[in-house]
Amino acid sequence: MSRLAALLALAVLGACGHASVFRLSSDENNAFALTETLKQRQLPAQPTPVNRSGQPRVFALTGGGEKTIVAYDLAAGNVLWKTDADVRSRIAVGGDFIVAVEGKQLVGRDQERGAPRWKVDLGGDLVGLAADRDRAYLVTKGGNTWWLAAFDGGSGTRLWREDASGQLGAPAAHGGVVYVPFLSQWLSILDGKSGKQLTRVRGLDEQISTLRVTSDVAYYGSRQGVFRLDERSATGKRDQATYGQVKVPPQLERTTYSPDAYDAIQQGYTAADRARVLWTSMATAAGPMKLLGDGFAVHYFRFVFGFGLDGQMRWAYSQPRVELVASEHTGNVIVGISTSGEIVALDPATGGVRARKSLGINQQVVGATFDVDGWSPSGEQGANETVATLVSIARDHDARFDRVKELAVIALAKQADPRVTGELLAVLSDDRAPQRLKDTVVDLLTARRDPAGLPVLTAQLAAKMDYIAGTEPDALAPVAKAMAGLGAPELVLDGKHVTAALAALQFHLDAPTTTSPELTWVIAAMAAIGHGAERPALISHFLLYHADDDLGSDAGWQKAIVTALATGATPADRAVLGYVAADPRSKPGLVALIRDTIGAD
Amino acid sequence: MTRGMLRPLALLVALSAPALAKGPKTGKPPEVSAADVAALASNELEAAAKAAEALGASPSPAAHEALLDALALGLPPAVAVPAMTALGLHPAPADVVALRRYAGHHTPGVRIAALTTLALYPDPVAQQAIIAGLRDPVGMVRTAAAGAAGRGRIKGAIEPLLALLAKGEDSSARALAQLADPDLARKLADQLGKVPDPSLALALGAILRRTDFGPDEARVEIVRAIAKIQDPSAVTALTDYLDATPKTPPRPSRGEAQLVVDARLGGK
Repeated sequence: MSRLAALLALAVLGACGHASVFRLSSDENNAFALTETLKQRQLPAQPTPVNRSGQPRVFALTGGGEKTIVAYDLAAGNVLWKTDADVRSRIAVGGDFIVAVEGKQLVGRDQERGAPRWKVDLGGDLVGLAADRDRAYLVTKGGNTWWLAAFDGGSGTRLWREDASGQLGAPAAHGGVVYVPFLSQWLSILDGKSGKQLTRVRGLDEQISTLRVTSDVAYYGSRQGVFRLDERSATGKRDQATYGQVKVPPQLERTTYSPDAYDAIQQGYTAADRARVLWTSMATAAGPMKLLGDGFAVHYFRFVFGFGLDGQMRWAYSQPRVELVASEHTGNVIVGISTSGEIVALDPATGGVRARKSLGINQQVVGATFDVDGWSPSGEQGANETVATLVSIARDHDARFDRVKELAVIALAKQADPRVTGELLAVLSDDRAPQRLKDTVVDLLTARRDPAGLPVLTAQLAAKMDYIAGTEPDALAPVAKAMAGLGAPELVLDGKHVTAALAALQFHLDAPTTTSPELTWVIAAMAAIGHGAERPALISHFLLYHADDDLGSDAGWQKAIVTALATGATPADRAVLGYVAADPRSKPGLVALIRDTIGAD
Repeated sequence: MTRGMLRPLALLVALSAPALAKGPKTGKPPEVSAADVAALASNELEAAAKAAEALGASPSPAAHEALLDALALGLPPAVAVPAMTALGLHPAPADVVALRRYAGHHTPGVRIAALTTLALYPDPVAQQAIIAGLRDPVGMVRTAAAGAAGRGRIKGAIEPLLALLAKGEDSSARALAQLADPDLARKLADQLGKVPDPSLALALGAILRRTDFGPDEARVEIVRAIAKIQDPSAVTALTDYLDATPKTPPRPSRGEAQLVVDARLGGK
């Protein structure tokens, strides 16, 4: 149904005096009502798990044949219980129960033992579910009607039910209130006990299609950004509310802040859970949303990256071998669980591993719900090795992550580590690396302008054409291009390094197999770093080929060699250029270029 | 370009050929044809090639210098090839630098001519250029380098030639045969199973046919090594040896070769 049609239908119903909570015309963006609603929430003083034990827990769903729920106590490092269950939704965590759609029923289970406590029929198609300490909340759809219902967490008794003729999204709940997106425009906030609407927020310049609720904070927004729910939400405007947008690199294009509340598929565990922005924020009275640590993280399949507010990568983590299927920011650590059942907790500031645990299962984890708010494991499993991680990402041969590799090499190039140039060159040497990645590396090497990298670049030139050994030059043009970038006057190069580099470059200048495009960069590199020492070799080369039908006629070569000799030309250089310009065997294009460059004399 | 202008150029380029310091059209002794010198520097390639040949045929040092001048200032491939061949007609030590420069030319034909000419120079620089030519990606250039290594008796070329032999390059077989002394011959015989049989038979057969190779005990060893090669090329190698060798005075190596051939061919 189009949004317009839904609005019209709702308008008709409203005109008929229907008493639905979800109406087109209703009090909204009411600062007083919102303030009162926020006060009504029974939130913990500090972030803490929802479950009554207060211990951090994860409820993982395994697949591959029979589905199994595995409940795991992160503090104790124990599996609480396992039970087979045909789970078809996310698992929501309450105080002493968990709830999920199993088959065609909503099933509440005892959180301590995993046994079913109650079951109720869905009564429609699942849109989404949620839980707070006492109740479960379910949104379903039947025909053109959406239903939000509340169930007692202990007995499964339906406490109330409200219908809507306009589209409801998946709910979220905490502290006795339930949040429900409505028609992409509103965030309705209902009393979880009575079902009465407490207030609603209307997004004036952004849709409301996503929700993320922790034990003490509610975030709402869209793919564009998120609002932190507070008194300023009543403005409905980004610039007057506590609103934030993070700079996610384009290479992580599939990343979202949280599941789309209107996408029923995302109300189960999906691949979309593997590409998430992870953040936490501080309460503020003014200005945009203030992210804790002035940064955020992105979970992207096997990887987790830490970023500053400026979008610059701070750290990188790569889960060995398998993907992380779910992740959460506890406020103190970033926690993720892999398909193999390994749980890892990362320091949000450094990416260092604070904890590593395992479910100890053989089945594959397909998704998980964390109840870990405030969890802060104190262990230090090892400092983050960002350079090594970025290198491993860049060298990964999984074609699905070519864009991530691009991000990795970009970040790698910004590291001051002396290994970086060599590692970037290794990407160029990798036959299986995608060409686009190699192109990126070439640009990065060129832009890097790292004088300390000159010996590494020179070493790369040692690879030569040798029929017997079966070798050939390796990334000659990119390496020479990177060397040419070292010619800036502000860069101080070691004289011995330059001598060695010139010798290596001259070998390729004189080699019969060096192609014209390669020669272009070899010549440019020699001219850039040689400071005159390269002139004899370049003049010899120039004279050798100035009358050659192939190379002598090549416009790229002509430009490279004439530019190299004409820039800062000595009288001898000008004499050579003049001789070639006057030689009847010289190619016309070459002659014209010389005359354009140094004049007709 | 005047001679005065080219002198600093010569220093810069560090091409050690002293002739580079002279312009192509200046100061030639009278016995050198000014027309040939001019033609060599012209854009008439056929005339330039003929001029190169004419200058090469001249015993005059000035003609030789004219060729070096032209090579130093850069000749198109069609002229560079006859110019280098002409240079080799009267080899002089100063030629090596010019020839080595062309041994790395982009045009394979130019490299072939340079390497072939370099074989005439017992100079370490020339030999290194020839050895490098054995690693050239173009087969014909490697063939030329192998030929040059053989003719120049370049011992440093033995290892790369053995590597080429393992790849089945016949030119290396012939070159190794030219280089072989009894020790190298034994080393070659030990390559059985490591290099293609026809190439090994070709190399050992070529050694046998060398009139300067000996003593005959060494030839006997080679015959026995060839006898171990199962490929028909072994019989060809021994037959060629028999055909190239007089029956008298009798040689034990020839006798053994005959026995092997008879046995292989069923007593025919």
